[in-house]
Amino acid sequence: MKTNKFFLAFLLATSTAGLFTSCDPADEQQTNPEISTGLFILNQGQYGYNNASLTYYGFSNNIATTDAFTVKNNRGLGDSGQDIMKYGSRVYISMYKSSLIEVIDAKTGISQKSISMLNESGNPSLPRSLASYKGKVYVSLYDGHVAQIDTVTLSVEKTIAVGSNPEGMAIANNKLYVANSGGMSTVNDSTVSVINLSTFTEEKKIKVVINPTVVHADSEGDVYVLSIGNYYDIPYTLQRIEAGTGKVTAISDVKAYNFTIDGDYAYIYYFGYDANSTVVDKTYTVYDVKNERISKSSFIASDAVERIPYSIDVDPISKDIYIGETDYVNAGKMYCFDQDGKLQYTFATGVNPLKTIFITNK
Amino acid sequence: MFKKIRSSFHLFRPVLLLHAVLFCSAAYSQEQKTDTLRSRTLREVVVTGRQLQIARASLPEQIKTTKEILALNATNVADVAKYFSGVTVKDYGGIGGMKTVSLRGMGAQHTGICYDGLMLSDIQSGEVDLGRFTIDNISEISLNNGQPNDIFQSARLFASAGILSFKTRLPENNGNQRLSGKTTAKTGSFGLLEAGIFLMQNISKQWAYNFSADARVADGQYHFIQHYGTSDNLSEILTRENSDIQSIRSEVNIQYRLREKENFTLKSNYFQSERGLPGAVTWYNPYSKERLWDNVFFAQIHYENRLSDKLQYQSFAKFNSACNQYRDLNDGYENGMLEEKFFQKEYYLSSGLRYLPFDQLQLSASADWWYNDLLIESTMPFETFPYPTRHTGLVNLAAKYITERFTLSANVLYTLTREQVRTGEASPDRNKLSPTVSLSYKMLEDKEIRIRVFYKNIFRVPTFNELYYQSLGNHNLRPENANQFNVGFTWMETKIPFLPELECSVDGYSNHVTDKIVATPRDLFHWSMSNKGEVDIKGLDANLKMGIPVKEVGKLTITINYSYQRATDVTAGSANYGEQIPYTPFFSGSGSASYRHGIWEGGYNLIFSGKRWYGQNTVDTKIDAYRTHSVFAAAHYKTWKLTGEIINILNKQYEIIKFYPMPRRNFRLTLSKDF
Repeated sequence: MKTNKFFLAFLLATSTAGLFTSCDPADEQQTNPEISTGLFILNQGQYGYNNASLTYYGFSNNIATTDAFTVKNNRGLGDSGQDIMKYGSRVYISMYKSSLIEVIDAKTGISQKSISMLNESGNPSLPRSLASYKGKVYVSLYDGHVAQIDTVTLSVEKTIAVGSNPEGMAIANNKLYVANSGGMSTVNDSTVSVINLSTFTEEKKIKVVINPTVVHADSEGDVYVLSIGNYYDIPYTLQRIEAGTGKVTAISDVKAYNFTIDGDYAYIYYFGYDANSTVVDKTYTVYDVKNERISKSSFIASDAVERIPYSIDVDPISKDIYIGETDYVNAGKMYCFDQDGKLQYTFATGVNPLKTIFITNK
Repeated sequence: MFKKIRSSFHLFRPVLLLHAVLFCSAAYSQEQKTDTLRSRTLREVVVTGRQLQIARASLPEQIKTTKEILALNATNVADVAKYFSGVTVKDYGGIGGMKTVSLRGMGAQHTGICYDGLMLSDIQSGEVDLGRFTIDNISEISLNNGQPNDIFQSARLFASAGILSFKTRLPENNGNQRLSGKTTAKTGSFGLLEAGIFLMQNISKQWAYNFSADARVADGQYHFIQHYGTSDNLSEILTRENSDIQSIRSEVNIQYRLREKENFTLKSNYFQSERGLPGAVTWYNPYSKERLWDNVFFAQIHYENRLSDKLQYQSFAKFNSACNQYRDLNDGYENGMLEEKFFQKEYYLSSGLRYLPFDQLQLSASADWWYNDLLIESTMPFETFPYPTRHTGLVNLAAKYITERFTLSANVLYTLTREQVRTGEASPDRNKLSPTVSLSYKMLEDKEIRIRVFYKNIFRVPTFNELYYQSLGNHNLRPENANQFNVGFTWMETKIPFLPELECSVDGYSNHVTDKIVATPRDLFHWSMSNKGEVDIKGLDANLKMGIPVKEVGKLTITINYSYQRATDVTAGSANYGEQIPYTPFFSGSGSASYRHGIWEGGYNLIFSGKRWYGQNTVDTKIDAYRTHSVFAAAHYKTWKLTGEIINILNKQYEIIKFYPMPRRNFRLTLSKDF
């Protein structure tokens, strides 16, 4: 009798336990692409979600591999991709929250080194943007520094202090221009540091509009700086630092949220918000940096990109324009337009497609 | 022996005085659940008030008593809540990790947390961390969908979509003036050391008190498996750092009995803790320096007069003060540090009447008023922080008709809010009426099988964070609405020969949340709040409890809870339209079996959660299903009890919140002595 009761209880317990199981179809595997000529897109991912990724799009077969880094290395990139750059035979990726520089072979996509970025106190130095010059890679660090990495040893050689929370960098006139954003400070910074690259020392600070972030140089040595203001009364402002004189001029006829420069043209997008915080009034401008005037006030239609533009890059060979699209949370999408603004193709990316670079492997 | 107790009381007296005088106030809710009527009509059946309460509830009710709680491998109230159906516990993991409870697919802010008859609140976030309430001095934890079945309550208990409630106990008024209580010492994984004491005594015919205090230290460290991607990718075993905690909690309740059914009860409760916030795991970077200091004090007073069988009266007053200090060390900040302090206060008053015109009918009216404020000090100045304050007023009118076979209950709640700000604009005034109707019917004359139905329309007002937090808040947010509809059955059986205790309930429900408050990103770091969201929830909760006696001295108890929730995002234009909302499993459940035989006791507990997603329902955002198995064994010797527990015995690595890994196998040893 006693055993019967236990048996009954056991039966009940086990049969109910059956309710607590569920099966799941196996997750789909991404195919392993051969990297030849095509695009690498750094998807920033969401802050705190370890979902930065590297999308590879091959021109030979027009196939996008959403997370080529994981496919090649059997591990994810980490948290908050910040910048990507090809230099020599390698691709460098800066990871902000993971605080490292991932160095991969541009031909194979396989990681050669993960350079952990820690400062003197052993704390994460929080890498942001990348630049390269004469065998060195430069990284702006959110703890207020710029590091110089030797491309032979792949290790940090020297670190110098700049302003607070440095962001974008550009190389012009044999100098490194660093935007000190002050993004995490009480009072945002409003300077661009000019760094002498032969001595790797800061020469001076140039005053610009508060919270400078994106910096690109044109072929004549002019440096274009986008300041994002203070989110209240000071708006986004695009300005030019003149080569030679260092004079700062605001380009008041162009509204910019983000931009890139290819050849003699700056490609710019902008948008605003309505009362419900919905993105409206997307504009896409081409600005002639040589003649310093607007070239095309809307090279694609306002609704050509469905959601929110997140990146803009230009293929230096084909001159095709790549615009990454986001909603900040879900998988993004890449749009390719030709110089006439005609949509060529689109493909899916990871979350927050931040930057596109162009790879030619023979 | 007696002398010894006396002297120990002398030791405690200054602490009591400190509580009573310094903080001067407090309240304690009496056991209000047993309607006089119920116990009268059903006295011949050998069942407890608790069982009847569950079986006859027209609004679903689940209860765990001390003995059941102690058999659940639980240390805090949130651990126990995992064994209720229809509940999703958000657990950030580890010993100091935040734990909140949401019911039936509605957000955690819809769950009211009630401690000894009065609501706990957090005006800033709307969420109460249940990890801070240890179970040692708790005598009962219950969960109500909708609201409590007893209509003689403060109006605020009718103002949530559901109530999780827990109670302490005071000595019975039986003339016995012996000091009784319990001391507990715990140790285990995570460097845990904990000591607690609970005392209660009738000092005289008029005066009674209880006192409890506990202190806890733990380094909180544990190993976890981190996959850098899916479970097919590379993994490493890492250590969860910066998850230490030290906390102290003390509470005193003093009851003054004017007459047999008229009394005052004062409560004063203080909690202080310092803890590391390990945060989400960041791949390849173990750095973690966020810390949090909490100081929470509340005091309440309850006056109750049940002298008349026809007319009863009670009133409450409460004061709550909380300070939360947050610090993050990060070289990205100016001076390498961000520090924020949040101060909030609440003043609360409530009065209620119950009138019984005849035996079957109860009428009640209650009115509440309370006031909240919030202050912030920050190293990053809140340029636009408006220092908001809010007055809330509630009036509730309720009626309940009870016969042996039939219970019908209805109430209407009126809410008004008035907000003030120093700068900027305040949230508009709100005036709302919220009805609830419930019904329970015993289908057969001689079987305790009942059908029940309830409908409730309720809302939650936005929190101060949602309304006013810098660059995130939106003062025009409307309250978030929830419509709940429930149909269920309860069955209680005491006549099966080998199964004298059988309780069973199955409830199907349909909830609809509109004007759901959601945060939408403006960019990577700036979010804004809106009422865009809409969620449709269909679900099923099932509970089964069996008590099986074995010979004379043994008893096997088995409980099984099972929940199904289809919580669909039906927000117009949402990228996630038609998908399951984040952190909500389709299937979840728990099971427990415990066996007591003489001085020995042992048990097994299972918690199960199906797969969930933390965003869009894709492979990338999926969180795997998990099952944790835990066991315990206890031996009683005279008044001593030694309990050993192994939690997550199969060493399962799992996550409830993404990138907050839960501990794998861990241990706990508890020694307690009753006196």
